[in-house]
Amino acid sequence: MSAIAVDSDLVLEARDLHLRFGNVEALKQVSIRVRPGEIHAIIGPNGAGKSSLLNCLSGFYRPQTGSVRFMGGDITRLAPNRRAAVGMGRTFQGIQTYPSMTARENILTGFHNCMRTGMLDALLYWGRVRREEEAFAAKAEEIIEFLELEELRHTVVGDLSYGLRKRVDLGRAIALDPKVLIMDEPMAGMNPEEKGDLARYILDIRDARGIPVVLVEHDMEVVMDISDTVTVIDFGRVIAVGTPAEVRRDPAVIAAYLGKE
Amino acid sequence: MLPTGIQFSTYTGEAGILKTNRARIGVLLIVILLLVAPLMSGPYLLGIGTQMFITLIAVYGLHVTVGMAGQINIAQSAFVGVGAFAAAKLSSYGLPFWVVLPLAAVITGLVSVLFALPAARVKGFYLALTTLAAQVLFPIVILGLPQDWLGGLVGLPVEPLKIAGYSMGSPKHFYYFTLALVLLATYAAYNLHRSRLGRALKAVRDNDVAAEVMGVPVLRYKITAFFTGSLFAGVAGACTAWFLQFVTIESFTLFASVWYLGMLIVGGLHSPVGAILGVLFITFLQEGLHEVATLVMRSQSHAVGGAVFATTNIVLGACILLALIFEPRGLAHRWSVLRTAYQLWPFPRQ
Repeated sequence: MSAIAVDSDLVLEARDLHLRFGNVEALKQVSIRVRPGEIHAIIGPNGAGKSSLLNCLSGFYRPQTGSVRFMGGDITRLAPNRRAAVGMGRTFQGIQTYPSMTARENILTGFHNCMRTGMLDALLYWGRVRREEEAFAAKAEEIIEFLELEELRHTVVGDLSYGLRKRVDLGRAIALDPKVLIMDEPMAGMNPEEKGDLARYILDIRDARGIPVVLVEHDMEVVMDISDTVTVIDFGRVIAVGTPAEVRRDPAVIAAYLGKE
Repeated sequence: MLPTGIQFSTYTGEAGILKTNRARIGVLLIVILLLVAPLMSGPYLLGIGTQMFITLIAVYGLHVTVGMAGQINIAQSAFVGVGAFAAAKLSSYGLPFWVVLPLAAVITGLVSVLFALPAARVKGFYLALTTLAAQVLFPIVILGLPQDWLGGLVGLPVEPLKIAGYSMGSPKHFYYFTLALVLLATYAAYNLHRSRLGRALKAVRDNDVAAEVMGVPVLRYKITAFFTGSLFAGVAGACTAWFLQFVTIESFTLFASVWYLGMLIVGGLHSPVGAILGVLFITFLQEGLHEVATLVMRSQSHAVGGAVFATTNIVLGACILLALIFEPRGLAHRWSVLRTAYQLWPFPRQ
């Protein structure tokens, strides 16, 4: 397979990203290539630049040089909410759900860009609003079933436990019908059981919905278990790319994590 | 929380505002009561009722901007004023009410957008100040314009409301007119909560960063929050114009704006029930105190009666303070706790 063919095959690609805050170089020539249907983990010690990379991908930071390409188009300069509209889903570090809304309402907000009714519709709630609400409630229920949130569909999210809120966050991201799902430390703060559940959902999202997943994660066990490709970053540079097994044997990675002999 | 045994087979049924027959009967009884009330009350009580309906429409608007979208607005009275002056001016051209009413609402909405633009950049205190600017500018602009435009210091007389040739000027007729509007406004306020727009507004309030990434354009919805809230204010303003049959800047003060906010806070920011309970509570308290003051004045001394009059504002202020300290979620929360307990009875409430 030629290099060009491989390139057009990528879902999400960052090329030579360079990001500087004052004198701090957060990213130096970082590239990452996400292929269709893969779970791609980004790992690295604290302060390596993982979150900076993620924020470049989702549009919160603008790299000084380099480009981000998504589904064959250049999105380097696209605003975060426009990236959501073109199919980039993302979940957050910590809790970023809407606490005053129910689980189902949280998921329904994910459909915002697919829905069409406007202000006058909202005030009058006539036939076409009813039909639209009906259709999207059914879609939200599919996600609720997938994430096993049936009992909690009408529970206000602010009353849920941490792990369950993270699950609602994931549901909201799935509702965007993303072409790629970016997850920022999904396992942080979860107990082993919740971690197992979440790992299963991530695998299911990839297998059943065919959505590639990019995740930044500290939990090595999870990363090694579920990812297909691992990109290792240290001091703002990519130091290794490969399958979990390859990366684990890589001397540069071992040095970064355990220090040099 | 619903009583046991109530199930829905469609999502539309589940999203219904009145879910049980008991609730439907209850609301029906209230509406019937409001319909027959004028038959057994004098013009004074009718006036209070009408005033209350108009206030409630304005507070619904505030509930959208402040309660749902979390954008503080202390200029609701100025926006009501814009609606009143717009309606007065438009009806002076002989336009029918079904043109005047929506047009006054839209004009008010557009004026509010002007003051909503700073909401793009500022939050909280700073936004409160920019809306305060709207309240301060309102009389200045009206006074600054040529007197034959909006009446200036004198004000504008307003023809009594006419619907299809029939005058609605009598207190009884106008009561029914505002009752119809307040029922419509209540329906609209509840509709917002179960719609795409309502969810987007609440998303902006709850977490604007997440909303932006999840595809909800935050700036646009902050402005929409002001616009939608001011539509209600515009309708309330038009009603005020027809009610008083005269509009002047005196009727739309910062004081009134603060009271609108006070009613919403005492009632509860986050649901239309809060607006209803807040308006009811504050109006009854205010009128009750005035009633007592008048009685005292008649039977005893003027000085004591005057003192009771003066305490009205202190008592009302104390109510807001108490609500903020002891029940920031307002009377609406108490109401929902009570309702849940009733529905769960005889089981203990959760």
